[in-house]
Amino acid sequence: MRVLALDTATALTAVALQDVDEEANACLRDVVDLVAVDEPALGARPNHARRLLALIHEVLELSGAGWAAVDRIAVGVGPGTFTGLRIGIATAQALATSAGLPLAGVSTLQSLALGAAHDRRAVLAVLDARRGEAFMAGWSPEQDPLLDEPEWPPQVLSPESLQRVAAQVATQAASQVPARAVPLALGDGAVRFRRQLEAAGVQVPPEDSSRHRVSARSHCRLAALARISAVPVEPEYLRAPDAERTSR
Amino acid sequence: MILAIETSCDDTCVALVTARGEIRSNVISSQRVHDRFGGVVPEIASRQHLSLLPAALSEALELAGATLDDVTLVAATRGPGLVAALLVGFSAGKAVAAARELPFAAVDHLHGHLAASFLEPARLEPPFLALVASGGHTLLADVRDHGPAPRLLGQTLDDAAGEAFDKGARLLGLGYPGGAALERLAVEGDPEAFPFPTAARMRGLDFSFAGLKTALLYKVRELGETEAERRRADLAASYQRAIVETLMIRVRRALEQTGATRLAVGGGVAANGALRAALAGLGVAVEIPPAVLCTDNAAMIASAARYSTASSFPDYLELDVYSTGERPR
Ligand SMILES: [Zn+2]
Repeated sequence: MRVLALDTATALTAVALQDVDEEANACLRDVVDLVAVDEPALGARPNHARRLLALIHEVLELSGAGWAAVDRIAVGVGPGTFTGLRIGIATAQALATSAGLPLAGVSTLQSLALGAAHDRRAVLAVLDARRGEAFMAGWSPEQDPLLDEPEWPPQVLSPESLQRVAAQVATQAASQVPARAVPLALGDGAVRFRRQLEAAGVQVPPEDSSRHRVSARSHCRLAALARISAVPVEPEYLRAPDAERTSR
Repeated sequence: MILAIETSCDDTCVALVTARGEIRSNVISSQRVHDRFGGVVPEIASRQHLSLLPAALSEALELAGATLDDVTLVAATRGPGLVAALLVGFSAGKAVAAARELPFAAVDHLHGHLAASFLEPARLEPPFLALVASGGHTLLADVRDHGPAPRLLGQTLDDAAGEAFDKGARLLGLGYPGGAALERLAVEGDPEAFPFPTAARMRGLDFSFAGLKTALLYKVRELGETEAERRRADLAASYQRAIVETLMIRVRRALEQTGATRLAVGGGVAANGALRAALAGLGVAVEIPPAVLCTDNAAMIASAARYSTASSFPDYLELDVYSTGERPR
């Protein structure tokens, strides 16, 4: 199955086109393995509105087969920046309608967690939620982030709460027989809240590790297993708009 | 056929219009979720646009008896407006076009309001003077051709006319949006009861409603709760008269200045009865499109697209929206 995936939940504009087999592994033969990533300069605003469709066009051109060979579109539904999510989902929805293709919404946190798969250890996907908070989801060592809903479902956490939840994950992993390796945290939020995570007994790879970056490749694998529904894909905001929070 | 999308404020709009300007469908999904906040909340509007747009698109196609195969040009509002809201419709519009390698027209919202007059069956040909008065904008333009760059003669320096109606309504306890409720209340009142300001001494063709709003606030305070309540209809009628007069002073000046013999009126405020009555006494031909084409809609965006330069695929992929100010005056 050939999947075109995109993600705009973080500052990265990520696009990938991949052939994926029934087990959701990237095919070894006849690979279309195209990834385009646009990263804004440090401190600059994300450039999704300008770059997303251009990157998709680039990837399809490089594949040589265009839309005709695409079987499915995948889009990261977040959590992430509200405007970024909407640009990605509005674009994906319209592409799917216009090209007559099924659309799968993929959790950006789940995709991030795939970076730790096969480690047989607990994994925390953590994204910078701004305002000093983190978006987080956690998978226990017995779980496979490719197949399983996270035991710690997606939530928005203060640094203190993140540390508390991370400590729970670490304690649970340590209490197992045989004891598992210490949990791993991935994502730009893991880098940002390294101090809290390490204090909780969770390992965070070096800042420049590619595993902290959202990869649309992983979206392709998740999308290959996703059930397609007729209901429009909705973003996972996790936060109410400010106006609603203050009017309560 | 032209497929157009408009999401600059709180209405999610999709329309299909032929190249000749005949409307095949004109879907407007009003959000109605902002009332309890007393104004449009950009984040809530943007969330609603994303949820409502897919259904609005299929409804527009269905009503037109068309499929995307019939679409030869896609258009979307590029600005001015709420950036987060614009991005939903603009991203979707570009993507619909890109997947089919169709040309795409990025349309200016104000050009859209003027181009509402170019739609069939009540088509109006330039030259004419245009007044656009809504909750989002208030402007006068000298329309000499169909193009996207009419000569702007004046615009509001603070609130828009529709905004002035809504803010006045709120001061009178009529809720939000209360422009229509204020008009109903005004029918029973005396428009001469209170001499509210019309910025008449302000020269030129720009509008200002901030002083009027403040004058109403002070008058309500001065009268006290009981008396203000008793004279609510008079307050509403006098306040409405001041808004209408503020508009009319500039319209008369502009007619004089340009020598125009025809006036086209657009925007939601065009539905106001007192304004319509005043316009009827001007002595020039006044053209007001049907109400559905006066408020924000996508048919007017499709109409404007007919007179905008469309980009061919893939030249538009990197286009972005704008809020205000980037459009040359
Ligand atoms: Zn408007």
